[in-house]
Amino acid sequence: MPRIERHADVNWEGTNARGAGRIDAGTGAFSGLDYSLPVRIGKGTEGKTSPEELLAAAHAACFAMSVAGELRDDDARIHVTANGVMDEVPGQGHQIVESQLRVRVRANVDRSSFREAVKSADEGCPFSALIKASAKVSIDAELEG
Amino acid sequence: MATERSAKVTWQGSLMEGSGEIQEVPSGAFGPLQISWPARAEDEHGGKTSPEELIAAAHAACFAMALAHGLAEAGHPPERLQTSATVTFVPGTGITRSALTVVGTVPGIDEAAFLEAAGQAEEGCPVSGALKGNVELTLDARLAS
Repeated sequence: MPRIERHADVNWEGTNARGAGRIDAGTGAFSGLDYSLPVRIGKGTEGKTSPEELLAAAHAACFAMSVAGELRDDDARIHVTANGVMDEVPGQGHQIVESQLRVRVRANVDRSSFREAVKSADEGCPFSALIKASAKVSIDAELEG
Repeated sequence: MATERSAKVTWQGSLMEGSGEIQEVPSGAFGPLQISWPARAEDEHGGKTSPEELIAAAHAACFAMALAHGLAEAGHPPERLQTSATVTFVPGTGITRSALTVVGTVPGIDEAAFLEAAGQAEEGCPVSGALKGNVELTLDARLAS
């Protein structure tokens, strides 16, 4: 089995409350992303990312690939939105408690096969498998057209 | 108070032959980013990101903030923390490992206290919390010489 490694680097300066960090992807696909505490717990519209936004992008990307893997349709068009929720859990501080997936698909498939494909994607998506030990994954999936 | 972050992905075609795009994220910090199965599951990434790289970026970023917080609380605010995360993906098996590293520039701290703070940050950061249970987490921490 091949083992594929992907890495990212962060350079943080200063304290948690007043400092700031910068994120670089190993592939170069993104680099120099600034982040800080006020941005992380703010509205998320300040042009800066956060760990939770990166995780949401990872989950949406991973789940879309898992659905594509189940449908096996060259003409499929799959839209996935992942919404990650971080909240304070008594005794555990801030935790990622839920990832909500909204899935909209156009494909040459009937409704029951589509439901099966989504169920298998839910069971097989590597990211879902990771976070299910600690967070809830909810799925709202519809076949369109 | 709960914090939410979302991301959208569109995928076209089958898993092996198709490709996807992570749309510009709501914060505006990155995207659109192209993704594909070969770029994810082979060593040669072609400059494309993947779910595993996004998880690595989230983990390295979250860990840096948690450590900055812990050090400041212990009376040793850091000047600089250089962190990285390397995430291992074994196609067919799943995401198996996230390996964190940190090199800290922290005035006045001894190595034992730094290692203790790093261990607590690895335990306590929300992304570690989300990954824990189904994935091996490792930490290699040292002070800058």
